[in-house]
Amino acid sequence: MNWNLETDHYYVRFAHEEDITNIYSLLSNNEVVQYVPKNPMVVEAQAMDEARRMVMQFDAKEAAFWLVEEKSSGKVIARVSLQKFNWVNASAQLQIEIFPEYKTQTILSELIYAIATLAFEDLSLHRLEWLLVSKDELSIKFAQSLSFNHDGQYVSYFEFEGEWIDYQVYSLLNTDSAWQQAIINDGLVKDL
Amino acid sequence: MKFVANVDFSGGQLRPLDKSDVDSIVNLYQKQTLAGQSASASKEHAERMIELSVQMAATQRGLMWAIEVEHEGEARMLGMLSLYDWQPTSLKTLMRLDAMPELSAEMQVSALGSAIEFLSKKYHLRNFSFQCLPETDEKIIEVLKCFGFIQQARLRDFRRISQTEYSDVLLYNYLLELPVSGEAL
Repeated sequence: MNWNLETDHYYVRFAHEEDITNIYSLLSNNEVVQYVPKNPMVVEAQAMDEARRMVMQFDAKEAAFWLVEEKSSGKVIARVSLQKFNWVNASAQLQIEIFPEYKTQTILSELIYAIATLAFEDLSLHRLEWLLVSKDELSIKFAQSLSFNHDGQYVSYFEFEGEWIDYQVYSLLNTDSAWQQAIINDGLVKDL
Repeated sequence: MKFVANVDFSGGQLRPLDKSDVDSIVNLYQKQTLAGQSASASKEHAERMIELSVQMAATQRGLMWAIEVEHEGEARMLGMLSLYDWQPTSLKTLMRLDAMPELSAEMQVSALGSAIEFLSKKYHLRNFSFQCLPETDEKIIEVLKCFGFIQQARLRDFRRISQTEYSDVLLYNYLLELPVSGEAL
């Protein structure tokens, strides 16, 4: 199975040894990680450790991480991941860490369609969850526009900097009419 | 070493599973609630569950209690209260309640209350959750609501119930006041 994907404008690929700088550049940006939420990296050694963890989690079949490289510029603009694979219930959690200037529905639509296609068709998953904090209003708007369903919330999921984090749960099923329509259209809705 | 404590509640007690509970566990698990679980539990499954209950508690990944009450003059196991996905760092756990028809809702609420009080004092857990199937868990949902659990989500097709079928899951939570960093428990 080929885990490296290609969309019209991006290579959605696994990281390699030369990507430490790219990972650090992305995850040291507070605007990229503030809604995960987590603290931005402060030294490049953290990116090396993160790269190691990405490989370990993939080897353990717990998660898969992709870096998103813009074809026209060669710049790594985002990291997309499927985490907490649940092979019994056929589900996984989607996470997107992206530079703010690239956080548009057009780009997210292109990336999510590529990842969801792999998830539903190649991995035979049934459900994707996208966990978002309420403050991340833009992502919530995109999730709704892309026909993710708001299932409710995971309350007090974990503690971050003295605050208990609630996640809003958005889901996309491979049986959803929006997804079936996306297959026909060869893409999710690209405009708000 | 004893990893599962006895906890009293009004009318009965929560106690560790014992080898003599095999028949009671088989009676409790006469309906399929998990993917891959056979329609009715066998003695081998029950014996394995008892072994695993000790391992889970020893590694603080989970915990299983028998719910024992006085019934017609003798102590009988009429239910189980279990913890799964116990996350000590996040002060939370997923729970499961199984009850025979003879175990009243009042008794279940009482057992649940004593368990939560014990878990909050002993392990500082603050976030308790249940995942219920809307089609089959109505009685348990009534118990949870009666205790004060609140539905936080309806997770679509969250649980696979056969090779091709999925069920929504109703997520209920009960939150005690959550401390923040640096605050003493």
